[in-house]
Amino acid sequence: MNDVKMERFKYDDELTKLFIFATVIWGFVALLLGVTVAFQLASWKVNMGLEWSTFGRLRPLHTNAAIFAFVGNAMFAGIYYSTQRLTKSRLFSDVLGRIHFWGWQLIIVAAAISLPLGFTTGKEYAELEWPIDIAIAVIWVVFAINFFGTLVKRREKHLYVALWFYIATIVTVTVLHVVNSIAFPVDFMKSYPVYAGIQDALVQWWYGHNAVAFFLTTPFLGIMYYFIPKAANRPVYSYRLSIIHFWSLVFLYIWAGPHHLLYTSVPDWVQTTAMVFSVMLWMPSWGGMINGLLTLRGAWDKVRTDPVLKFMATSVTFYGMATFEGPLLAIKSINGMAHYTDWIVGHVHSGTIGWNYMIISGMLYYLVPKMWNTTLYSVKMANAQFWLATIGLLLYMMSMWTAGITQALMWRAIDETGKLVYPNFIETVVRIVPMYWVRAFGGVLILAGFILMMYNLWLTIKKSKGLEEQEYMAPAMEKVTSEVNQTAHRKLEGLPTLFTVLTTIAILVGGIIEITPSLISDTFVERDSEIKPYSPLEIAGRDIFIKEGCYVCHSQQIRPMPDEALRYGPPSTAAESVYDRPFQWGSRRIGPDLARVGGKYNDMWHFRHMYDPREVTPKSIMPEYTWLFKKKFEIKTLPKKIKVMTALGVPYTDHQIKNTVLLAQKQAFEITKGLNVDGVDMKMQNKEIIALIAYLQRLGVDGARSRELKKQVRSEQ
Amino acid sequence: MSDKNDKNDKNDKNEKLHVLEDEKALLIDHSYDGIHELNHPLPSWWMWTWSATILYSIFYFIFYHMVGGPNLTQEFEKDMIRLNEIKAIAAADVSNFDIEHYNTWKKTNDSLKIGKEVYEENCISCHAEAGGGDIGPNLTDAYWINVKERTATALFPVIRDGVEDNGMPAWGEIISKEEMYAAMAYIVSLKGTTPPEAKEAQGEKVEEF
Repeated sequence: MNDVKMERFKYDDELTKLFIFATVIWGFVALLLGVTVAFQLASWKVNMGLEWSTFGRLRPLHTNAAIFAFVGNAMFAGIYYSTQRLTKSRLFSDVLGRIHFWGWQLIIVAAAISLPLGFTTGKEYAELEWPIDIAIAVIWVVFAINFFGTLVKRREKHLYVALWFYIATIVTVTVLHVVNSIAFPVDFMKSYPVYAGIQDALVQWWYGHNAVAFFLTTPFLGIMYYFIPKAANRPVYSYRLSIIHFWSLVFLYIWAGPHHLLYTSVPDWVQTTAMVFSVMLWMPSWGGMINGLLTLRGAWDKVRTDPVLKFMATSVTFYGMATFEGPLLAIKSINGMAHYTDWIVGHVHSGTIGWNYMIISGMLYYLVPKMWNTTLYSVKMANAQFWLATIGLLLYMMSMWTAGITQALMWRAIDETGKLVYPNFIETVVRIVPMYWVRAFGGVLILAGFILMMYNLWLTIKKSKGLEEQEYMAPAMEKVTSEVNQTAHRKLEGLPTLFTVLTTIAILVGGIIEITPSLISDTFVERDSEIKPYSPLEIAGRDIFIKEGCYVCHSQQIRPMPDEALRYGPPSTAAESVYDRPFQWGSRRIGPDLARVGGKYNDMWHFRHMYDPREVTPKSIMPEYTWLFKKKFEIKTLPKKIKVMTALGVPYTDHQIKNTVLLAQKQAFEITKGLNVDGVDMKMQNKEIIALIAYLQRLGVDGARSRELKKQVRSEQ
Repeated sequence: MSDKNDKNDKNDKNEKLHVLEDEKALLIDHSYDGIHELNHPLPSWWMWTWSATILYSIFYFIFYHMVGGPNLTQEFEKDMIRLNEIKAIAAADVSNFDIEHYNTWKKTNDSLKIGKEVYEENCISCHAEAGGGDIGPNLTDAYWINVKERTATALFPVIRDGVEDNGMPAWGEIISKEEMYAAMAYIVSLKGTTPPEAKEAQGEKVEEF
């Protein structure tokens, strides 16, 4: 042992510093956007009457900023800091690190510009258009090379549990992002997904749910495994539990995606699979919580005084709560009530605020004093942030529970004569608006706490002598381990390549079994010859619907429940969305479902409603869409759009392909002529509103005709 | 061995690992950047709960997908049969319009006040304030599209069954008979009034009553 040669090296903490700054800045932006959209729901006037600032465009910006900008940058800071120390090796490449950092910031800026401008794919949490998607893939690969390169030149033979979670994160996010983003471009900022209807729904929620799992959860479990034992100077509670909960978590998580699609037209067996795997996921999730909290055994006095541990312990507690609520919400009958309501919104925020915001705050309070070699400027200020965030979050969650359950009970209330007790959807909205004010107030507290932290960290850095990279020493990695009697898993921990391969297999199984049948076989997607492709004008209108983010507040999927049948009509079928690229089933009904809105109101109703929703629906909280009456709908790109759709397999006729523009203009003329009777100027015929009306009036119409025909056939027999 | 390396880490020099008495035997002989691990056994309550969720899942899947448990559509259809029975009874009540019953109800209730409320909750979005007409026709003038004579007997079926082509809903499926009575009483009372913004006449001139 005496001839072990010590190698001297430094860690690239400058890179961590950059990611810390980005975390703080984007965190502020994401929270400010969150507070803004919260107030928009409380009062429609906060939409400010501009197309760039309406809820439908800002909410995707808020979610993208929170997930990819705030949490993303924090993840990279934490992973780069801890990986270097856990491998006793400087990062593989300083240059790749800088490319990663600046590339990621550019992607965020591109998102911040393109989303308010209305460039969106219309797929939740994957709204960014194809050029940005490609940039994300490239930068993510840069990150992967830098991470795995560091593992290759590591000085520590075995990988610590935190690194297992980082590996799972990098592998899975790559798979999810690439598969979900495959699309056929129409032009530089517009594309259609290769999947349609229920296929798109399955792929999207496989992605959406596992973005939560592998972007918001696994990297932070790794971060928890590094920072809690470091900050508490305590050994991790159970190595055995780490192994069991890691493998079960990465294997089971993937299956749970379709629990976002319960009671929809995806096959029953997929729904059941998603539900039971969510239930089985409960304990593996709690494995992480147990390991986090019980590591603090004997250190609870420090949790009271040390802001780092205070935030970390709270975050792990909220993690436990959210991962209990998740499986609960995945149980069909509970989901039947909670889905499309604010309960889900509350659940998401108990995770993102309770778990991510809290653990990131704890991590920053640990990192900044440590890296700048000083002490925290003010513990009092950190405590104030802790209470602001905790109280803010509790207000958020409780108001959303109340709003969600209240609205769900109102939706499903049926009286003794078989009628809906609240047939007007707006009644159920007006009832929960007070809760929107409470939520917005909670959000303000959370934001205020964050600003305190920014100030506190800034003063901490200011009083330091600046960041200095220290020199460390360690021997090179032993080629042959000196450990005897290694268990199989211990051996595996020394073999990163095999570890990565096994992780990849574990995360692929669930998705392959649940999704591929619907992709390759028609038996899961029934066809109906009465369901026809959208007309060119309807496609133009549909793209406006997507651009304005209508899907953020309106679903297009009627579930097989008596109250929904009374309110919206018969349950949606898989056949009805075969031409929906992307699918627009939505996830929240801030307004009513639109799957069968076609023909429910006349054209004039829609015309008035879009200009001033409150004129036809008093007390409506929908924004005004006045620019739809000024802007011309896109007609130049229409032929290309129809060609792309045709290439994707949509059966347009030669007539439709050749005369796209003419057909669109003719339909627009007919609609405007009808409106003209009520005094609408014929000049409106090339405006966006006309295309949007064409689309809305088409929704559910083919399905109704199909049912009518079937009924006739039955009666003739 | 790793421990020795950690002593070179200046940052960790003053921080001593805190191991409790009952844990000493569980401490594993390796560490990463000063992080140690214990090897506590898996908590038994955790194992049992997990096993229970797995068992539940297996039985749930078998029941609903392998031994003929009802699927979501079948459950929905069962619910709808029950709902339609209730609705049929209510519909029978609504389908027969009895002018005597209507008149009695109108007299014994504050029909105009209730009617105005029902109107403002349901009708106003198309027929505008005070029946002036907007998306739907003016209700105050003598011109009607779907009513041949301006009587409660003629008006009731239009309200009850709606006019699908013009986007008028079948209110009989949405609001109660009494609410339709009240709305009707209110609409009839608007005859000849001059609302602030009135739409031009549509349809045929009908007989007054």
